[in-house]
Amino acid sequence: MIAFEPTEDQRLMQQAVAEFAKATLLPRTRELEHARGVPEDIRRTAHEMGLGLVTAPEAAGGQGQGLVTSVLIEEELGAADAAAAFGLAGPGAFGRAVIELDGPERAAELLAGFADEGGWDRFGAVAWSEPAPCRTHEGFATRAERIDEGYRITGKKAFVGNAALADRFVVFAQVEPDRGWGGIGAFVVRRDNPGLRAGERHKTLGLDAASFGEVVLEGAVVREADRLHGDGSEEGFTRAALRFFVKHALVVAARAVGLARFAFDLAREHCDTRVAFGKPIGHFQAVAFTLADRAMDVETSRWLVWKAAAAWDAGLHEREALLASARAAAHAFEATMRTADDCVQLFGGSGFIRDLVAEKLMRDAKQLMLAAPTAEQLDQLASAIELGQKLDPALVLPTPDTQAIFT
Amino acid sequence: MIEFALSKKQQELKEALHSLGRHVIRPMSLDMDRNKEVPESFLRNFMMMSRGVRSDDIAEFHEGTPRKERDPSKPSESNRTAVIAAEELAWADAAIPLSMPGPGLGAPPVRATGTPEQKKRFLGMFRDMDTGPLKWGAYGLTEPGAGSDVAGIRTSCRKDGSHWVLNGRKCYITNGGRAVWTVIFATVDPSLGRAGHRAFVVEKGTPGFEVGKIEDKMGLRANETAELVLEDCRVPEENLLGGEEAYRTKEGFMTAMKTFDNTRPLVAAMAVGIGRAAYEYARDFVKQNYVLTRPIPRYAAIADKLAKIGRRLEAARLLVHRATYLADMNIPNAKEASMSKAAAGQAATLACIDAIEICGAHGTLSSEHALLEKWFRDIKVYDIFEGTGNIQRVVISKRIVSNLKSF
Repeated sequence: MIAFEPTEDQRLMQQAVAEFAKATLLPRTRELEHARGVPEDIRRTAHEMGLGLVTAPEAAGGQGQGLVTSVLIEEELGAADAAAAFGLAGPGAFGRAVIELDGPERAAELLAGFADEGGWDRFGAVAWSEPAPCRTHEGFATRAERIDEGYRITGKKAFVGNAALADRFVVFAQVEPDRGWGGIGAFVVRRDNPGLRAGERHKTLGLDAASFGEVVLEGAVVREADRLHGDGSEEGFTRAALRFFVKHALVVAARAVGLARFAFDLAREHCDTRVAFGKPIGHFQAVAFTLADRAMDVETSRWLVWKAAAAWDAGLHEREALLASARAAAHAFEATMRTADDCVQLFGGSGFIRDLVAEKLMRDAKQLMLAAPTAEQLDQLASAIELGQKLDPALVLPTPDTQAIFT
Repeated sequence: MIEFALSKKQQELKEALHSLGRHVIRPMSLDMDRNKEVPESFLRNFMMMSRGVRSDDIAEFHEGTPRKERDPSKPSESNRTAVIAAEELAWADAAIPLSMPGPGLGAPPVRATGTPEQKKRFLGMFRDMDTGPLKWGAYGLTEPGAGSDVAGIRTSCRKDGSHWVLNGRKCYITNGGRAVWTVIFATVDPSLGRAGHRAFVVEKGTPGFEVGKIEDKMGLRANETAELVLEDCRVPEENLLGGEEAYRTKEGFMTAMKTFDNTRPLVAAMAVGIGRAAYEYARDFVKQNYVLTRPIPRYAAIADKLAKIGRRLEAARLLVHRATYLADMNIPNAKEASMSKAAAGQAATLACIDAIEICGAHGTLSSEHALLEKWFRDIKVYDIFEGTGNIQRVVISKRIVSNLKSF
């Protein structure tokens, strides 16, 4: 039956995260921005709350919660500081990648340490984007050559979240260059691998407290066991990769919903109190209608994200869940950008000044739109599903036809 | 729990209506449009057939009184079920749900404001349609001089003995010509604004109550839209909805306006149904007529358009579900109802425009198999009736901007 009511457990968790976000992240959002990271004490608190491991399997020390719980929590974080949501410790995208690409069985091994006492300082990362599209063949420029011990990985990755902080990575690379997107593979590479080093940290438009940078692979040798095979078939791996990218987009979209809510509330309060021409500006139709449209943007984004998350949790047919997620994330990204933009616009000149958080929200919103498969890519994926086309990761991966994206 | 799956009963209803829509309604859709009529034989058969399919929830929605004792711990699903049925029928042909025998849009004000005797009398008369003649109810608010500005109605009413004498003109009344009764809104004194409004159930055949012109419309041609003329029309005092007591406070009129909280999501659901029809048509047209290639379709712009139509409609549908969920939970939903209507009217209109564009000249052809041009004509009014898109934004604005009484 259609219902919009979180369970009691979900509500309690949502409430706890909202309190943490409001009390801890919100007042310090500029401090985090200037520090370009999340300070130790905040990471410790979040770790004690188990924030990074909500969806991780119980075997890996996680809470084994579904995506619905996850998006509820991510919205609350995003409503205070979406950048901090990226900068908190935990397996993050890495955790989602290994579970999708290798099944939950090995999660305990691959996610070891995140639940430990020292977990507050442990990050994971997924390296998929590259500084430039590959011109020699369809697929990744980063190569994974088969050798006796396993694989040797060489190449450069860019726009990788937590590149400098992570102690383990999932690296996407081309195993068979002549087989295009069918010839790609994903590998677990650890920080202590002598063939891996973090490259330059990117200076970004927004999400400063998150950290995006390059990862350089100079003949990093990994074992056969470090390759994440999905169910072993090419089709299975492709679908697992798509699931990962799309679920990742959904989680980022939930943060976007939070950011949109924040921007909307800020704008609404301003329109209630700012007086011009003798009355609050919200009492002018053009302003009020803008708020009404953005209120619809916030709500539709949230319900689309909830529905997509519920589709995965309920075990709906994969194409259906992929479609719901692609639609949700594409809509949420665009709606969030509109909302943050209008927030600055309604503040007028003061929206442009850094005394106020509006300008930061607008920069963060744009960066969020690029921190996962983009709305354009998700739209292509949605149409490919609806038109019954073959689905492959190229639909959400950087190719010469699409732009580079952040993980 | 957060859930978007339909109940088994809803799923069965949806499937039954879909099958009827595909195999029976669609093939006669164009003829109905040309003949400006839904055949009574169809409506009668539908009523007979739907006795089996129609859930008590639907019956309750239309007739206003539960057919059986309701378990108070189990909230009603009637609003949620009604919109699922409405979308499905409108997907087949939007004139059908609008032409369905029953009290129609007249039911909600009778339900909301009527005394127990009035409810029994005016809603009860629809129960014998299985054996007796088909009957319709109607809702008469709009006037030539008062559309969006509902408070500006000029149809007058004055008490004379045990009767009220009504004078004025109503226009664009759905099923107004055939209705056995119409809820007519009139005013005791235009200078009182809404406080002066009274709602009457005016029965067909009442002296001085005449049907004027039957409108020739752009779309929804199979559904009757009539002008109603009241000239010294004497209405018995028992037909004043809620009795005089109901109008001592301002509540009286506001209760009558609550009609829209229930009907707007319903109308929005129909819009989604038409939009979905157009979307599916364009999607299947692309599938059959375009050479689709991967990884990025050669027709990326078309894919982009399709995806955007798809997610806008889904966003509108979720606002409909949200508004009806709140209604079923007895939570005020005026804002959400207006959001659903505003979003659906716009999304579905754009869907029809874009669908025509995707199909090119083919999309403008009219035949039994090409109904796109008809949907294009049908949809526009969904952004107009039951409150225009702008009026919905007025309703929403008043609920998000503080102390905003009017513009």
